[in-house]
Amino acid sequence: MIEFVEYSLLGLLSGGVMALIALSFVLIYKGTGVVNFAVGEVMMLGAYLYYAAAVTFELPPVVAFLISLAVISILAMLVERTVLRPLSGQPAVAVMMATIGMSSIMHGTIETIWGGDTYQPPGLIPRTPLFLGEILIPGSVLGNFAIAGILIACFLAFFRYSKTGIALRATASDPVTAATLGININFATLLTWMLAGSVGTVAGVLIASSAGLAPSLSGAALGVFAAIILGGMDSVLGAIVASLFLGWLESISAGYLGGKSRDVIPYVVVLLILVVRPYGIFGTRTIERL
Amino acid sequence: MKKLNRRQVVQGFSASALSPWLAGNSYAQSSDIVIGAAQPITGVFAFAGVAMNNGLNDFVQWKNSKGGVQGRKLRYVVEDSGFKVDQGVAVFKKIMASDKPNFFYCDGTPLVKAITRDAIASNHVMTSSTSLASVVADPVNVPQHFVPGATYGRLHEVLMEHIKSTWKGADKPRIAYVYAESEFGMDGIPAGKARAEKLGLPIVVEIVTKQSGIDVTTEVAKLRRARPNIVIFQGYISAPMPEFIRQMKEAGIDPDVYGTAWGLDKPAFDALAKLGESLTGVSLYATGDDTSAPMIKEIREYLSKNRPDLTHISPFYISTWFTGMVFAEIADRCLKARKPLDLPNMKAALESIQNWDTGGIIGLPVDYSKHEVLAGRLIKYNMDKKFMEPAGPWIKV
Amino acid sequence: MRTGVFYENFQSEEQLWNSPVKRFWMLAFICALLTLPFWGTQYILAMACIVGIHVIATLGLNLTTGNAGLISLSHGAFLGVGCYTVAYLGKLGVPFYVTIPVAGIFTAMLGVIVGLPSLKVKGIYLAIATLAAHFILSFVFREWTPVTGGVQGTTIPRANFFGYELMGDKDNFYLIYFLAIILGIAARNLGRTYIGRAFVAVRDRDISAEILGVNLLKTKLLAFATGAFYAGVAGGVLGYFYGAIVPDYFALTLSIFYLAAVIVGGLGSVLGSIFGALFMTFVPEALRLLSNASSHWFPNAAGLVLPMGQVVFGLLIIIFLVFEPHGLTANWRRVKRYFHLWPFKT
Repeated sequence: MIEFVEYSLLGLLSGGVMALIALSFVLIYKGTGVVNFAVGEVMMLGAYLYYAAAVTFELPPVVAFLISLAVISILAMLVERTVLRPLSGQPAVAVMMATIGMSSIMHGTIETIWGGDTYQPPGLIPRTPLFLGEILIPGSVLGNFAIAGILIACFLAFFRYSKTGIALRATASDPVTAATLGININFATLLTWMLAGSVGTVAGVLIASSAGLAPSLSGAALGVFAAIILGGMDSVLGAIVASLFLGWLESISAGYLGGKSRDVIPYVVVLLILVVRPYGIFGTRTIERL
Repeated sequence: MKKLNRRQVVQGFSASALSPWLAGNSYAQSSDIVIGAAQPITGVFAFAGVAMNNGLNDFVQWKNSKGGVQGRKLRYVVEDSGFKVDQGVAVFKKIMASDKPNFFYCDGTPLVKAITRDAIASNHVMTSSTSLASVVADPVNVPQHFVPGATYGRLHEVLMEHIKSTWKGADKPRIAYVYAESEFGMDGIPAGKARAEKLGLPIVVEIVTKQSGIDVTTEVAKLRRARPNIVIFQGYISAPMPEFIRQMKEAGIDPDVYGTAWGLDKPAFDALAKLGESLTGVSLYATGDDTSAPMIKEIREYLSKNRPDLTHISPFYISTWFTGMVFAEIADRCLKARKPLDLPNMKAALESIQNWDTGGIIGLPVDYSKHEVLAGRLIKYNMDKKFMEPAGPWIKV
Repeated sequence: MRTGVFYENFQSEEQLWNSPVKRFWMLAFICALLTLPFWGTQYILAMACIVGIHVIATLGLNLTTGNAGLISLSHGAFLGVGCYTVAYLGKLGVPFYVTIPVAGIFTAMLGVIVGLPSLKVKGIYLAIATLAAHFILSFVFREWTPVTGGVQGTTIPRANFFGYELMGDKDNFYLIYFLAIILGIAARNLGRTYIGRAFVAVRDRDISAEILGVNLLKTKLLAFATGAFYAGVAGGVLGYFYGAIVPDYFALTLSIFYLAAVIVGGLGSVLGSIFGALFMTFVPEALRLLSNASSHWFPNAAGLVLPMGQVVFGLLIIIFLVFEPHGLTANWRRVKRYFHLWPFKT
């Protein structure tokens, strides 16, 4: 029984970081309608930039972190301008393939510059473990969840209460009306991409601190797609809830069935849920017009 | 000189542009002994592939500088396989067509299996590979192949014997197996478990992780609950071993950490040393710092002259150097007996290698009648010297 | 429009090759192809076999994604299903002219199952459902050891044609291209039947198609099944060609490779599939040759080939999407039109 509780807690806490990656994806989808298959690579690039700033240039960890956020934002801007603007009218396949192409370019560039070795970036948070009786929660897991939780709460508040947040939501739901009301859509789209990139960077840095920094890091994002479908691609709350649930599910299956089931169980569950609720638990059902 | 018109200038340029290719081909001599290779110089295995490539290349250069094999020079033809089977097969076909090699080095078990039929059909090539899989040390089904050392199964048996003989404690040691769900990770575990059962050593938990091993918190929790004294890792180059050890130390458990062969290289022992853990394991060869072996001294001398910035000699380098030695030995035996270098003769030459002194790379005389070497040695990380050193005698299985 | 070509009835208008010139060139091309083993080097022969396998697979994906508009990320896994079926049946002694069709049909049935979500979801949701199918199939490849050999992979016994063993590239070349030509003509033919038109209708506006009487579910499932059939056959001949296979080969990157081939070649056309497969196979080869050639000046070039290959792959996709959304076929048609209309301007 204690085992079950321990696995569950660990799973929920790991799900927090997954929620960050899912948030990055949902922000872009909600804001611009683009399905970003490159979430893993964006996350990885952010982590590598952090490593470069912190270790190669030997800056203090916090400064390095801010620098990596800044560079990712600039890159997001570049990508949005050069790749996504020309493709704005094209069918869904085209934009999806464009993001796949982008992920390939990023992955290749990272491997070219940094090679295939594993690096260890300096941690941002202390690692003191938490003992709950017999259960041990490693400090890194707790710290990651805490940071993820704070960040997500900030985002939810931002979207709800701040003027810019509401403007972003308006642009997402109906760009034409938003433009009519005086909102600068181009800037809104840009801001969405920058925020999504930053969130991804945070997730990347957190994961890399415990798992090490290697080109295989982008594989961590594949499980996120299951969470996104489960929660509904355009719902922030859905992404968070689904990530926590899937984190819990992965942990339980890894504990009782072995680590190799980690990949498969989330997707089986997702397929089953798609039969009942095709647009995810919290997703909005789009009404198609002829 | 009469005036050149434009056509002649173009022709002249084209001819001179082609000359490097033509000149290149004229180097090929039919009396050379050709060693072809598909090395994973790029791709997921790149850090090893570069070392493997250097090892075989340097051996060829070194051997040629010492007069070659019976006066004939060795020639090394290598192309990148990216650790992908289809690319490796393409490289194999290309080199077989253009260079007719006598020996071919593959980058892993899948490639060996893929080219076995064609290699046997060609009747003029022997193969080897980094792979230590038991399935390719099979004189009947894979007659043209040999393993440059002991297979994983043998290594795990050596490990179990070592644990049995060195365990100092009243109770039996609690052994945990942690391995990756890949061919590299899973081979050898059954043999290890069988030997442990025979010796009466309990294996308290067996943990399988994904190949990439990014999020292992639950697996570590499971390991922690089993409270092992000894943890054997198989299938990882570095990650996620440090995370496992970190969390176990945080929980207050301090087990002995063991690994095998390729899991004992610099990334692994450096990462564990940072956590204050001394990695121990079964190695196929003498380490690059073991200067009591004459051949290792030769290697170090060669490297200091030709690759002065290479400070650490990885086991991959030693492995391909050793493979080159075996290739050369096979060719040497065939030529001494005045037999042509075709498959039956080379296979017989390989199997005639018994009691062969390898200059200390393998500490016991080598017997290749079963296409693998049945010996291994325990090495342990020394915190002060910062490299791996011998932790026991050479064990024969 | 060719001069001198006049149609007198509907049947002749729907002909696949409607002029003597076209028929001549088609025949010449096929003859040149079939005699390739005699005039090509060993290297070209091996590359041709690989291109042939990719062409068959791309034809299938083009039917599902190009013609019917259903994004499928599980194509690589379908190839794996075909390959393992052929391996399993081959070990039981079944001859190749039975195993390959059986592999195709079995994969098609699996394709129907994977396509079932299409009755509820569409677009990106469907794509991610196929992604889920891919992960599940990969898991099965790795775990179902008695049939697939597990993580270590399996070997495939050589194809046996009434006692004559198909060994070596030349024999496999004929097997592959025989199938490729038949399947290519079949795909082309599909375009002028009711089903082919139904595919295109579903892609463009499925609600309107439903109103016009097209059975959406049947059409979508058929699209998946056909694509999967082609993938199964391609996987089968892949097995006979390589002789040994590991589950790592059928990764997500393979599905993305085929999607890229479809886009680069041109969505919805058979010619596009051929161009796309050719192009995507030769770009990494060209890079490798380039790195070999330049290794005299840049000794470290070999270490950069693979990651640079990925960068080039991504760049190609984006460049084609932005500048040439209809793929290489559009280029080809533009060049042909220039020559047809010369000296008039296009």
